[in-house]
Amino acid sequence: MKIQTAVYSIIIITVFIALLLVYINRKLVKFDPLSEPKGIVLVVMMAAQTFDKMVKEKTDERVAKYLTPYIMTVALYIFLSNIAGLFSLETPTSNYSVTLTLAALTCILIEVFSAAERGPKAYIKSWFEPFAPFVIMNAMSKLSTLLSLSLRLFGNILSGGILMSVIYQLLAVISRKIPFVGEFNIVGALVAPALHFYFDLFSGVMQAFIFITLTISFIGKELPDK
Amino acid sequence: MEKAILAFAAALCVCTGCVTGIFEGKVAIQAVESIGKNPDAADKIQSMAIIGAAISETCSIYCLLVAFLIIFILGA
Repeated sequence: MKIQTAVYSIIIITVFIALLLVYINRKLVKFDPLSEPKGIVLVVMMAAQTFDKMVKEKTDERVAKYLTPYIMTVALYIFLSNIAGLFSLETPTSNYSVTLTLAALTCILIEVFSAAERGPKAYIKSWFEPFAPFVIMNAMSKLSTLLSLSLRLFGNILSGGILMSVIYQLLAVISRKIPFVGEFNIVGALVAPALHFYFDLFSGVMQAFIFITLTISFIGKELPDK
Repeated sequence: MEKAILAFAAALCVCTGCVTGIFEGKVAIQAVESIGKNPDAADKIQSMAIIGAAISETCSIYCLLVAFLIIFILGA
């Protein structure tokens, strides 16, 4: 069996995140609550506050307690995966298995929160609403959530990567016209950073943000009041 | 000849994305207008605009994926 090359970058990113979280945990445990936070502690605190506010806006306090850590971890993972191209790793999110797994996790969470909120009997009944044959429609709508979530992330990141490689080829052709230094792709070195900024950084941040916003609002939709 | 037809099909596929571009721009216009009218609701409007844009973008991403499939699977 052939191992896909994205597996290596997935392992590297996962280990990096694990080490980072252990390091942050050490820092937070040592941190004195009365002193002024600075450095990484301040960054982590601000991030936690922002995410907590975001989750609480769409869901309620009780759900936010369980949902916020998951959302923060997924956001970190997707963000680091999206910008992995900058560190000359293969982007894990341009592999459909990864995005499908992430979207499947979201879909399972939606169902779990929906079931926990309504109770088992009302949950099973919700599949057959408004009347019994609609079970096909309900299943289709759940499947389309899974497909659109996973394909959105996958398509955006993959298209960014492919566009970048096409642009590099084009710039190599242009720079070959320059005498003496043409083989080095000098035009690419000058033009590409700005494009990397858009396709990797901006698009990566946006897609991670969109993924978590959609996850939060899909889960919030299943809860009663808000 | 066959490759040319495939390339044309892929290009046509991606072209459908321009409609999404127009109407996603409309989402942004409306969001800006409503924030101008009601600056207090900026946070809510912003997140709704992003969700709306992301959901309507799905359509053009499907087109893009079909174009990729045409190029890399049919054209390989």
